[in-house]
Amino acid sequence: MRGCMARSCVTAILSTLVVASWVMLASVPETSAIPAFSRKYQTSCTTCHNNFPELNDFGLAFKKNGFKFPKDDDTFVKEPPVLLGAKAQKEAFPNALYPGELPGDLPIGFRYEGYTQYSSKIPLAVGFTPRVDLYAPNTFTILSAGSFGPNLSFWIDDDISVGGANANGFMGDGFLKYNDLGQYLHLPKDTLNVRVGQFELDLPFSQAKSINLTDYDIYDQASVALTNSALCGFAPIPCTTNNPFIFSSPQRGIEFGGYPNDGNFTWSLAVVDGNNANPAVRNSKDVYFRVSQTFNLERNPNVRKEVRASGPSGPRDHTSLRIGAFSYYGRNALNIGGALFPTLPTIREPFYRVGADFRFKYRQFELWGLGMYGHDTNVVPNDPADPTAFVKASPVTFSGGFVEGEYWFYPWLIGLMRYDFVNSPTDFQNGISRFDTRNRFSPGVQVLIRANVKLEFEYQRRFEQPIPGTTQFFRANGFSLGTDFLF
Amino acid sequence: MKMVEKAVLKAAALLVGSLMVSSAQAGDIKGKVTVQGLRSAENIAVYVDAIPGKKFDAPAQHAEIDQRRMAFVPHVTVVQQDTTVDFLNSDSVSHNVYWPSISGNKKLAGQLGTWGKGEKKSFKFNNPGVASLLCNIHPEMSAYIVVVSTPYFAVTDSDGAFEIKGVPPGTYSLKTWSEDGKVTTQSVTVTSGATNVDLTVKK
Repeated sequence: MRGCMARSCVTAILSTLVVASWVMLASVPETSAIPAFSRKYQTSCTTCHNNFPELNDFGLAFKKNGFKFPKDDDTFVKEPPVLLGAKAQKEAFPNALYPGELPGDLPIGFRYEGYTQYSSKIPLAVGFTPRVDLYAPNTFTILSAGSFGPNLSFWIDDDISVGGANANGFMGDGFLKYNDLGQYLHLPKDTLNVRVGQFELDLPFSQAKSINLTDYDIYDQASVALTNSALCGFAPIPCTTNNPFIFSSPQRGIEFGGYPNDGNFTWSLAVVDGNNANPAVRNSKDVYFRVSQTFNLERNPNVRKEVRASGPSGPRDHTSLRIGAFSYYGRNALNIGGALFPTLPTIREPFYRVGADFRFKYRQFELWGLGMYGHDTNVVPNDPADPTAFVKASPVTFSGGFVEGEYWFYPWLIGLMRYDFVNSPTDFQNGISRFDTRNRFSPGVQVLIRANVKLEFEYQRRFEQPIPGTTQFFRANGFSLGTDFLF
Repeated sequence: MKMVEKAVLKAAALLVGSLMVSSAQAGDIKGKVTVQGLRSAENIAVYVDAIPGKKFDAPAQHAEIDQRRMAFVPHVTVVQQDTTVDFLNSDSVSHNVYWPSISGNKKLAGQLGTWGKGEKKSFKFNNPGVASLLCNIHPEMSAYIVVVSTPYFAVTDSDGAFEIKGVPPGTYSLKTWSEDGKVTTQSVTVTSGATNVDLTVKK
């Protein structure tokens, strides 16, 4: 009975994994370009995005500066803010409220995404999937962001509707950020910032601001131990690891970070609840750390100092190489209150993720990639018949990553090629894939019909999966045509 | 007695003569302020800094700052040291006037209280520096009084232009003060007639 309970949880997780990652487009909350900024500065989306919602060098500098222009912001604002106290009130502090400001107009934008899906033939044994879905509404998102003065900024995005169902979405990011807190410690500019709320971790490549129609597979990888208790060696009780943590979902907590040296060096340290959008059912907190260094490869030192370089046909991103590393550590808790094994205490299974990444930019070409390793401790009861304690079993591990290239044939026509791979022996033994490694190629083309309207084509050639009850395999390949616009 | 009368007449003649000469020789400083990183070149104070060894009498005329439509008018006022400023209230709501310091010196802070429409309060500014005027009822209101040591000053118009009249010939230190910009200092030599000066204020 106990084993069945554990197994049902594992099965649910696996089902979620399969559905979310391999068959349909993911409907994760997606933050994006902010039309409110276009209005505030009366400027095009292309000021900050070469291919929205991905940020170009200027967009990154704008974001790092607390959603303000990197230089002379005041002179560019076309909608003067509402002052919540004159600047001179600073002199009166602490005997008066510290002065702030509100955006001049309500800083709200909307984004709507949907797609047409063509799927290769999926065996009925897996479940019926129509070959063509003419249009699937994905997300309708409300976006709001701005600044409350020189140092305070905010961001909120919420999926009002997901998959055509009203109020079916949930909040993506919602945080308050204090920029350049380090100035009070006489640290170099932008060395220390802090943000509090719900936010995407400082991932090397944002999933929320991804240009892709589908998630990076490695970001959706969860650790689930062997479901076959015989394979685990403790029949009828399976291994315990059942860790829902994935990188692609937002986290709740507090993050310290900085980007001194003109943003070329970045660091962040976040303490988070650790269980994505839902409150974690445990007392321990998780820690995420990231560091990266960008090498500006422009030959002209004056160009290197500019926010963006100037090309013959307009501004462009600097030729640069960024390398970075990241790690995540947490302790997953199971069997709280004896839910799985009534006579045994809570299980605390430490887990970690480590990885490294790079990004190279050269004119109209960008190439980026990431490699990651995951390790989850896995314990089992010492005696299936009469358990008195837990003992360590084989840990659940996986590795994987992705490499993606992007090329601008024209400013409005962008070609993509992406390769995802996840090596998970445990998933393989759980019958999810034919081999240890699941991989897919995803070539694509994106067309900016307007600066705020995009058509996205993506083909996914996926790994082989077993057909249940047979010795045959199939590929859940697919072709997606997405529409994406903001206003 | 006659000798005394003659001497007095002579001195009076000399005094009038010298005044006429100096008035005839006084020049104007004209120019334009351009800004870098600031929204506007308006409301920038331009003034001749203290002249060593030179003291000027306190002006008898009062300066005036009104409070209209929930704003101090004008936003920037330059006054000579020891000038009395009259604070009016033309609004139908009460306003308060205070300044937390003068150029950071909190000992020079002032609080004039709160008063209603049509009333007036006055204050004599004896110390050079900048007073940030605030209203503790309406925190979005602010204005600045720049107290300088000389009677030679001006405030830029919307184009950044300014004109300081009646400056005796000589070499002076010309300074600017602005709400968001750094102080600019520039040496200027004034001769009779107009002396043109262009200044740049950076954020």
